[in-house]
Amino acid sequence: MALTLTCPICGERNGYEFRYGGEDKGPRPRAEDPAPGHWCEYVHMSPCVAGIRKEWWYHKDGCGVWFTTERDTTTSLEVKQPEKTR
Amino acid sequence: MFGTYKPLWGKKPRFKSSYDAVIIGGGLHGLATAYFLARDFGMTDVAVIEKRFIGFGGAGRNTAIVRANQRTQENVPFYRKALDLWPVLTRELDFNLMFYNCGNLNLVHSEAAINAARMNIATAQFCGVESHLIDARQCKEMMPALNISEDITYPIFGAMYHPPGGIVRHDAVVWALAKGAAARGVHIHQQTAATGIGVENGKIISVDTEHGKINTPRVLLSAGGYTAALAYRLLRIQLPISVLTIQAMVTQPLKPLLNHVISSGAYHVYANQTLKGEIATGAHMDPWPNYTTQTTAHYIKHQAEALAELLPCLRGVKFMRHWAGLADMTPDMAPIMDGNDHVDGFYLDCGWGYFGFKSCTAVGKYMARFMASEKCPPILKPFNLRRFEQHRLMGETAAVVNYSANN
Ligand SMILES: Cc1cc2nc3c(=O)[nH]c(=O)nc-3n(C[C@H](O)[C@H](O)[C@H](O)COP(=O)(O)OP(=O)(O)OC[C@H]3O[C@@H](n4cnc5c(N)ncnc54)[C@H](O)[C@@H]3O)c2cc1C
Ligand SMILES: [Zn+2]
Repeated sequence: MALTLTCPICGERNGYEFRYGGEDKGPRPRAEDPAPGHWCEYVHMSPCVAGIRKEWWYHKDGCGVWFTTERDTTTSLEVKQPEKTR
Repeated sequence: MFGTYKPLWGKKPRFKSSYDAVIIGGGLHGLATAYFLARDFGMTDVAVIEKRFIGFGGAGRNTAIVRANQRTQENVPFYRKALDLWPVLTRELDFNLMFYNCGNLNLVHSEAAINAARMNIATAQFCGVESHLIDARQCKEMMPALNISEDITYPIFGAMYHPPGGIVRHDAVVWALAKGAAARGVHIHQQTAATGIGVENGKIISVDTEHGKINTPRVLLSAGGYTAALAYRLLRIQLPISVLTIQAMVTQPLKPLLNHVISSGAYHVYANQTLKGEIATGAHMDPWPNYTTQTTAHYIKHQAEALAELLPCLRGVKFMRHWAGLADMTPDMAPIMDGNDHVDGFYLDCGWGYFGFKSCTAVGKYMARFMASEKCPPILKPFNLRRFEQHRLMGETAAVVNYSANN
């Protein structure tokens, strides 16, 4: 089954309307944090979870909202309704 | 008529409780490394452990294209070594790998792309690899089926022509390497998943498997698209990787019409004609990470549209099979080959995306040297994992990738 995502504004839409915006890794390191390792981890690294993870998505061919949702990478299906946009 | 079959790689070997080296993943990279460990360094007390069956992963799913026309000075020489090994291995393994060096045509569809091709060609020539720029008329002469008219979505301006590339039969490579490695004493254990890696005082001591523990001082993790998840699960090592599903398909067999591999970035399509006559074509990737090997109707349509414009004689031809596999992509489109960092005796080979077939011969040769000598061969040095933390990404991609988190 192809990916369907629930936009908080437009509701359920075909996955190809959206752009993937990366894993939700929480807050970015503080600008004054000099440790290259922290930045590298935040910018590049991933545990590449085979399972459920929280991600950012952008409704590019729709209303243009950014939101987070949870998706199972082993089925490529959304697992629950996204939280309210912040 | 139907005899009894024996696998080429001999009888099922005895599962021993210790080996000099354990290789996780029975794909091309794992098998090639095992082969070269035995061939070049006399290391034959080696086990390849494979969760399913050898060739289950990308090894048996790729579209078999080989070439050495990458973008950077670090990558081109490496892929060149890999390309040079096909005829050598065909002879040495006594197996017809069906290397067909028909050459590759990378079509370009804009002035900007011509300039980008010029840079690639200059790099190739600097590294002693043959690659030329040709115009649309020359493309048509070389490949009469090509549509060079101006009324298509992305008219053809010319191409980067790379004569030494081509195609190789991927299954034959899996079987031949397995046969060659097993004949030299390597144990290939299929249906044996790695479930843990034992580390003591910063050194590798063992690998846990479904069938029990193996004591060993060195491990190569080379499990194709599954490597990044395993590195995290087994050793808590995070990697700069996004695992994407990549699709490919073949048409019904046709008379010879594609005498070169063609590819087009603008149409996002590549195609070659197999020796059986099918047009093998790819490669769509949904730009979000996932571990499924599902195919999509979206992509069949895309592929049909692109091919019908570039090669109008294919209009009405049927697709026969369509499949998918995993591509483990790095942000700089270059692989990671590393070892003895973080953990002594732990070697890593991943991030091969959709270019791990063409490279497998050289990976085997140099990762084997790395593991046997415990010193990183100079040709592998630029591919270390630390480049990401040092912000020394390689320039294999001219544009920012659109699947990772950082853009
Ligand atoms: C559709 C498609 C088209 C492609 N086209 C090309 C191309 O034209 N040219 C090119 O150069 N490359 C191409 N590639 C890429 C290439 O196939 C891969 O980069 C390459 O095969 C990966 O290396 P491998 O063969 O060693 O890995 P794989 O064959 O993926 O082997 C990894 C193995 O590890 C095993 N494994 C997983 N988990 C465990 C575990 N826990 N324990 C033990 N074993 C485990 C898997 O079962 C698998 O057999 C393509 C890939 C795909 C999917
Ligand atoms: Zn929306």
